[in-house]
Amino acid sequence: MHFYLKERLEEVRKRVLYEQYAARKIPTWERIILTWMVLLPFWLVVSGNSRPANVAIGAATTLIISSLMRDMLTLDVRSKGNILQKGLYFMLVWAPQLAVIMMFRILESSVRVARNVMFMDINPGIVKIKTDLNSDTGITVLANSITLTPGTLTLDVRRKLGETYLYVHWIDVETLNREKAGEEIKGDIEEWLKKIFW
Amino acid sequence: MIEYLLLAFGEAIMVFGALGILRFPDVYTRLHAATKCDTGGAMTILIALALMAHAPTLVRLKFLVLAFLIALINPMVSHAIARGAYKYGIKPKVVVDMYAWDNP
Repeated sequence: MHFYLKERLEEVRKRVLYEQYAARKIPTWERIILTWMVLLPFWLVVSGNSRPANVAIGAATTLIISSLMRDMLTLDVRSKGNILQKGLYFMLVWAPQLAVIMMFRILESSVRVARNVMFMDINPGIVKIKTDLNSDTGITVLANSITLTPGTLTLDVRRKLGETYLYVHWIDVETLNREKAGEEIKGDIEEWLKKIFW
Repeated sequence: MIEYLLLAFGEAIMVFGALGILRFPDVYTRLHAATKCDTGGAMTILIALALMAHAPTLVRLKFLVLAFLIALINPMVSHAIARGAYKYGIKPKVVVDMYAWDNP
């Protein structure tokens, strides 16, 4: 019994240390550059021409904007790895894979709702699931992904005792067990989000 | 060829979504059908238009920006409508309601 308590305490202490490490903010210039890397392609696509003068004006403008707005997008990004590695990983691996996963999920959800409309085999309910994410941005992206995935709609978010719970309206309730329902609803999206957000 | 398939798919999803708004029993299940109109219908139609348009690449990418903005805004709006309806007092027709257990 004593050894069990000691082990458990050690585990909790390690987890708290890890959370503090993961919740540390990244430096200011890294935040500015990450925001700039998001804003500059958006300028290029929206303005629609690729002459050097236009690109230079866009780079200067987006640099000013990203130095003012650096906290809005990147406050909750995990602080490990260097900036170049993180940016390239985000642009080339993480975002395209998430986009492909979400695209197929959207197609599947449309087909499933069309089937529900035809046969009316619905069994709706509101279930409560637990998530491991803690930051505001991470929870927002996770809730939006849950709404886009087949047959689910996020109703509310609640934080209690350091843990985060989501209330989800499910159009076809399969199980009431919290772990099984969470696995069914969240899928592998949460694993993807935990790589970037804490 | 694939753009015509995508256009037909989007049209079919739009028709089934409109049918679902008429047939489903309460606000929350109707919201499911209405949001699938946006994501499944409008986004596939926009992607098909991006493939079909006779225009330079940077202009075609604007359709993809529109699709991305729809994918961002649609879940937020549906969440706001559902939560507002619940707070207003519209009871859902469900088998289990864990949100009411925690908010007596």
